Amino acid sequence: MGKYSEDPAWADIVPLPTDEGGPNPLAAIAYSDEYGEAMSYLRAVMASNEFSPRVLELTDDLIDMNPAHYTVWLYRAQCIFELKYPLEDELAWLNETALAHQKNYQIWHHRNTIVDKLGKWQGEAEFVEQMFELDAKNYHVWSHRQWLVKRFGLWEEGELEFTERMLEKDVRNNSAWNHRWYIVNGREAEGVRGVTHEGIRMREIEFARKAIAKAPQNASPWSYLRGIVRKSGMPLASLKELVLQYADTSKPDGVKSSHALDLLADVLAEGADGKQQASEALDLLSTKYDPIRKNYWEYRKGLLGGGSSASTATAA
Amino acid sequence: MSLAAGPGRGGGASAAQLPDELQLVVDKHVAYIQSLDTRRDELEYHLTEHLRISGIYWGLTALHLLGQPEALPREGLLDFVFSCLHENGGFGAAPGHDPHMLYTCSSVQILAMTDGFSDLEKRLPNGKMKIAKYIASLQQPNGTFAGDVWGETDSRFLFCGFLALSLLGMLPNQRPNEPPIIDLTAATDHIKACQNFDGAFGVAPGAESHSGQVYTCIGALTLAGELDSYLGEEGKDRLGAWLSERQLPSGGLNGRPEKLVDVCYSWWVMTSMAMIDRVHWIDQKKLTSFILQCQDPDHGGLADRPGDMVDVFHTCFGIAGLSLLRYPGLVEVDPAYCMPKPLVDNFLGRK
Repeated sequence: MGKYSEDPAWADIVPLPTDEGGPNPLAAIAYSDEYGEAMSYLRAVMASNEFSPRVLELTDDLIDMNPAHYTVWLYRAQCIFELKYPLEDELAWLNETALAHQKNYQIWHHRNTIVDKLGKWQGEAEFVEQMFELDAKNYHVWSHRQWLVKRFGLWEEGELEFTERMLEKDVRNNSAWNHRWYIVNGREAEGVRGVTHEGIRMREIEFARKAIAKAPQNASPWSYLRGIVRKSGMPLASLKELVLQYADTSKPDGVKSSHALDLLADVLAEGADGKQQASEALDLLSTKYDPIRKNYWEYRKGLLGGGSSASTATAA
Repeated sequence: MSLAAGPGRGGGASAAQLPDELQLVVDKHVAYIQSLDTRRDELEYHLTEHLRISGIYWGLTALHLLGQPEALPREGLLDFVFSCLHENGGFGAAPGHDPHMLYTCSSVQILAMTDGFSDLEKRLPNGKMKIAKYIASLQQPNGTFAGDVWGETDSRFLFCGFLALSLLGMLPNQRPNEPPIIDLTAATDHIKACQNFDGAFGVAPGAESHSGQVYTCIGALTLAGELDSYLGEEGKDRLGAWLSERQLPSGGLNGRPEKLVDVCYSWWVMTSMAMIDRVHWIDQKKLTSFILQCQDPDHGGLADRPGDMVDVFHTCFGIAGLSLLRYPGLVEVDPAYCMPKPLVDNFLGRK
């Protein structure tokens, strides 16, 4: 006897057991538990296309036990729309569910569907930040945030400041760096310039420079800088002064960042007589600062000597 | 096929071996995979039902790469696959589950590995075209693909669509004289829009680069025949640099900067590097040793990291990674299809 079979509200339903695998007494015993019973009631209501408040409760129960079951989500969404269930109530329920099941991703598509129908973004940004307190690199939450920005045009509604708050907490959060890039450069197709605009470029280079000062051996701001160089077409040589603060081939023991050394090699290779020094920088990477990628650094050295210039092959 | 984790752990009880002495315990992995279908008394068997058919694909692929393609009974596999097939040509993860792109792809891969397409025709006349049309129906106006009628999109679904269509011989570039059933150009344009400033790819335009998504995007471009023309040597160098940065001092690979290593990235990262011909940029000896430390030498199976519980997902991708690393005795894996290469070659009439 179980939760549903004993409930008079469900007395009219004949549960449908699983049809997988045929008779298996051992499985049948374990499967008579709460989850198995709830699933057998879901199969029964799906077979008769029932959409009702009790079905919503049943899907709530099942999602709580197993949030990855995509068919349950799909049926719940159908039920919400058939019943014209208040979407705000569904969002409130989703808040609790998402916090309880962080790693699940079906939740995010469901949320996306509901918010899109509702046509209102108020409260979403705050909820997302609450989720980031549990896991600041949750890929689905970041995707949802980007969707919100695009769907509701929130580019200038405090998003840059939001990335600053996130990077203040953890300057190594690559997801936050990526989001910043998106906010700065994501509207080029609409004619809103990002780092191709000099003022914005200077601001972003300064932002990366400060982040590098905090943690020189952090790949994200270096990668961000390379992105800026590539997208704007600015000369790589203009980063030389910054790079030399963290890596200088004349002080091989004082290298503070392998990423700076990597960039230095490209800066040097661009110069007419810098190939020898670039080669020394790559040697340092290969032998001392990043030996696990020895073959990659050797390849880069090969590009220095060959016909093609290392800067076109490896810049950015 | 149970997707329940354990019972063993990576590293296992007999951790007496030094890394240099580690060997792949082939027979134990085969026995582990064979045992998975006998675990229906565990709740987790049922909680993972929504992945069941992919679990079978993972187990079967691992067995093929281990040189034991017959270790699971063919009839049983086909019966289960067909029990997941819907009238519209899509497959669910298990009987009674809605059809979805991911499980349609796994089903088509299983059919290819069991030589099951003639059986399909007997069960569902014109079955190949019905499956292809189901996949094509999920393409969105912007070129990408949804996973199901619910409408979630992900570069993973696009890649799975391409992969299944390719095995069915239904990609437009495979049948140039027939009307195309999908818009290939719109799809590859979408993939290209997923490339980021760091040279790698994310789940959607603007989304953070992620090794798993790199695999799906590079795989899709490979199947569309556009990889070389799109990336060129310069693009391959940038992407290869980002991918090789995923290797950490333990030898293992991570999925994004500043994240933990995981055996499954041995596959997602390495196979992308294989498709752009840059596998040699990482330390292959260290990665081999890392993967071997994730196996349970006593009970079989591989885990995400040494010390964690084994499961069939990590068993498949760990072994596939070792195959890319040319581990002795393993069948060569095809990078784009994640299936045994000789079988894919034969199936597609390549070479």
